[in-house]
Amino acid sequence: MLKEGKKVKPKGQDYFQIEKPYTLSQAIIEADRCLLCYDSPCSKACPAETDPGRFIKKLRLRNLKGAAKTIKENNILGGICGLVCPVDKLCEEACLATGIDRAINIGKLQRFLVEYSWDIGFNPLNKKENKNVNVAIIGSGPAGLTCAGELAKEGYNVTIFEKNEKPGGILRYGIPPYKLNDEFLDREIKDILDLGVKIKTNYEFKGKGSIEKLLNDGFNAVFISTGLQNPYRLKIPGSNSKNVFTYNEFLWKINDGKVNEVSKEIKNKNIAIIGGGSVAMDVGITCKKLNANNVYCISLESMEDLPSDRQDLHKAIDHHIAIKPQSQVKEIITKNGKVVGVKGNEIKLLKKGDFSPSNIKDIEGTDFSFNVDYVIFAIGYGVDPKIKEYLPTVKFDEKGHIMVNKSYETSVKGIFAGGEIVTGPGLVVNAVKDGKNAAKSIIKFLNK
Amino acid sequence: MKDLSITVCGVKFPNPFMLSSSVVSNTAEMIARAFDAGFGGVSFKGIGGPSIEIINPAPRMHSYNLGSKKLVGLQNVEQTTDRPLKDNVQDVKWLKKHYPKNPVMVNIMGFNKEEWKYLALTFEDAGADMLELNFSCPHMSVEGSGMKVGQAFKLVRDFTEIVKKNVKIPVFAKLTSNVTDITEPAMYAKEGGADGITAINTVRGVIGVNIDNFVPYPNVFGKGAISGYSGPGIKPISLKCIVELAKKKELGLPLAGCGGIETWIDAVEFLLSGASLVQMTTSIVKYGHRLVEDLIEGLSFYMEEKGFKKVEDMVGKALPNYYETKDFDLSRQGAAKFDLDRCIGCGLCYIACQDAGGQCIEWDAEKRRPIPDEEKCYSCMICSFVCPVDNPPLITFKEIKGKKVYTPPPSKL
Repeated sequence: MLKEGKKVKPKGQDYFQIEKPYTLSQAIIEADRCLLCYDSPCSKACPAETDPGRFIKKLRLRNLKGAAKTIKENNILGGICGLVCPVDKLCEEACLATGIDRAINIGKLQRFLVEYSWDIGFNPLNKKENKNVNVAIIGSGPAGLTCAGELAKEGYNVTIFEKNEKPGGILRYGIPPYKLNDEFLDREIKDILDLGVKIKTNYEFKGKGSIEKLLNDGFNAVFISTGLQNPYRLKIPGSNSKNVFTYNEFLWKINDGKVNEVSKEIKNKNIAIIGGGSVAMDVGITCKKLNANNVYCISLESMEDLPSDRQDLHKAIDHHIAIKPQSQVKEIITKNGKVVGVKGNEIKLLKKGDFSPSNIKDIEGTDFSFNVDYVIFAIGYGVDPKIKEYLPTVKFDEKGHIMVNKSYETSVKGIFAGGEIVTGPGLVVNAVKDGKNAAKSIIKFLNK
Repeated sequence: MKDLSITVCGVKFPNPFMLSSSVVSNTAEMIARAFDAGFGGVSFKGIGGPSIEIINPAPRMHSYNLGSKKLVGLQNVEQTTDRPLKDNVQDVKWLKKHYPKNPVMVNIMGFNKEEWKYLALTFEDAGADMLELNFSCPHMSVEGSGMKVGQAFKLVRDFTEIVKKNVKIPVFAKLTSNVTDITEPAMYAKEGGADGITAINTVRGVIGVNIDNFVPYPNVFGKGAISGYSGPGIKPISLKCIVELAKKKELGLPLAGCGGIETWIDAVEFLLSGASLVQMTTSIVKYGHRLVEDLIEGLSFYMEEKGFKKVEDMVGKALPNYYETKDFDLSRQGAAKFDLDRCIGCGLCYIACQDAGGQCIEWDAEKRRPIPDEEKCYSCMICSFVCPVDNPPLITFKEIKGKKVYTPPPSKL
């Protein structure tokens, strides 16, 4: 697999360095703090059922291989989840150690154990005898990778079709490298490839029904996990000017080896990010790490309702990002076609949580304008409508998401779907859950 | 600050805290720093007879860790001092000149009768305030020395007698716990004329085996040995020995307690159980001399709180409360009492009670709370030991008047 060394690193920066992992001693100290609760609330809070209550108990009792085995068997992307999960909203929020102290650093322990197993060359994943049954998976994001791994463990031949140059989907192109770098991602993908999964990268489907046709092409089942690739842009004056991007365009460049270029461009520049979610924080922190001057995150939500994960928000504040809550950008000001600023005002919601235009009321006398050189939209994303062309008989809902039943089956027999293309925007760990459960349904279907 | 001094066999100690005979009392320079830090006295590192040259093994120690807690215990294979006798004599002289108020007890171990006499006289001459006869090192490489003497009770008497006949200073016999009943050798020591007993030396033990190369710790170039184990892990054993010695009426000798003392609370427990002096090594290995500050302050505040005027007044205060189990009042029963307002819902009490107790706790899965049944509780109290809510504990024992002991019904098999 490609390593981070192939990318151009800006000099004197540790931009591609993810957070330092625990040492074994630190992990033992942290595991010692765990109460080892009965019927572990942390385990119940993990959508992917990674079972932290069990793997921390194993670590505590020095069964390190067993701990890594629990993680990887339950969550084949356990290392990545340890890095990118909003743990403070999941396992760590449920942690009862908060009753006497503070939550156990579960995500960091999980990541430690996965990396530890890599370091000692221990692979807990076993493969059953080959069944000579072929499954196609569309998209190599977290749902697709997980489904592929689960099927491969059971002896199925899995081929993933990936349209980009490298596998990983949102994990590679939608997450800034300081959170998850290529080296780590490639290492965890290797665990899946080692099970015999084949990935066809740079693969473009062409023509009507081309995905559905896979069922006639030697594949006994198909799993759709394309995710969502259509980032939103506000339709306001100036939003099509030069130097206005979506978060996707921005992070893509960063993750596609063009950090130097971006760095040169935004150094000492002011940047307005529209949005208040974790992605907005990711983009803002990235800009700051690349030496941008003032970075603003302008969000419709109030500070209390900011959708960002708390850790990301704290990190953004640590990077001196100015959060402007309860504010609406009305116009991107341009000069000679280039961005020179943003204009807007503070707002009030008539009904809490409803951001439809009729529910938003301007607050008089709160007009603001910032001098900025770039505007980046981080206001969510939706379905790329092109997918319908490849799946003409599969049913979609009114939002454009694929409709599935509880077993992840679409309206077409043999075609399953999971992840964001079904659920809409969600967490990596939820995509893992979908991939895992869909694999179970696919196996059931194939054994009928 | 309280006056913590205590006079034992006519020797006045500024406080009861001593370095025990070990690595921590190896040289005058180290001991001087310990005195400067506040230690009352020292038992100078065991000095063997000059007839045999001592070479210490490498490595000589290994740590016993528990979870992330380091040095819960210490294993060592160190012998008596490997320094020349003249250096030790010079050190004792120097200490007595510069620290006249800090008693120096010298720990000696002859390898034959003549050497016991020679060493005793030599260190009395050097100015030692007391002698401590080492009948207890559990891993001496010299045949018929250390613990081997302590286990052959007549030798304890004979060697004590030789020493006592030749010196005027008080003599303590340092005993090993590696016997069936420590009061037996103590009585022999008394017969030989001992003025006091030090208990205990390290306990014979093995802290572990390297599971890769199968060699026990410490690994002395591929060889391990059952040897001396010390530290907090042996405190229950050393405290028991002090109690046994203190309760032995016929003995009636002052005691120096040793084994696992780390905090002022440990020290107070030893004093209350009959020790007049307390010695320590492993806790100094772990914390350094600075721990004595907390022993001194802790003991002072405790004495103030409890109204003790002198350390002496505390010695043996707990002894009347030590009984045989047959003396317990079995007509009085009770149960674990839960302060559920403070419960955090971890369920550890439930696991303990189900898997190791009386199965008298049910679990409310929805509320995540234990539902204890006092009737069925047989007050083993393990629920309280695993409960993380402490200071004060969430689960405590309470007496229930008229309660009958609950025994489990016949198994439904």
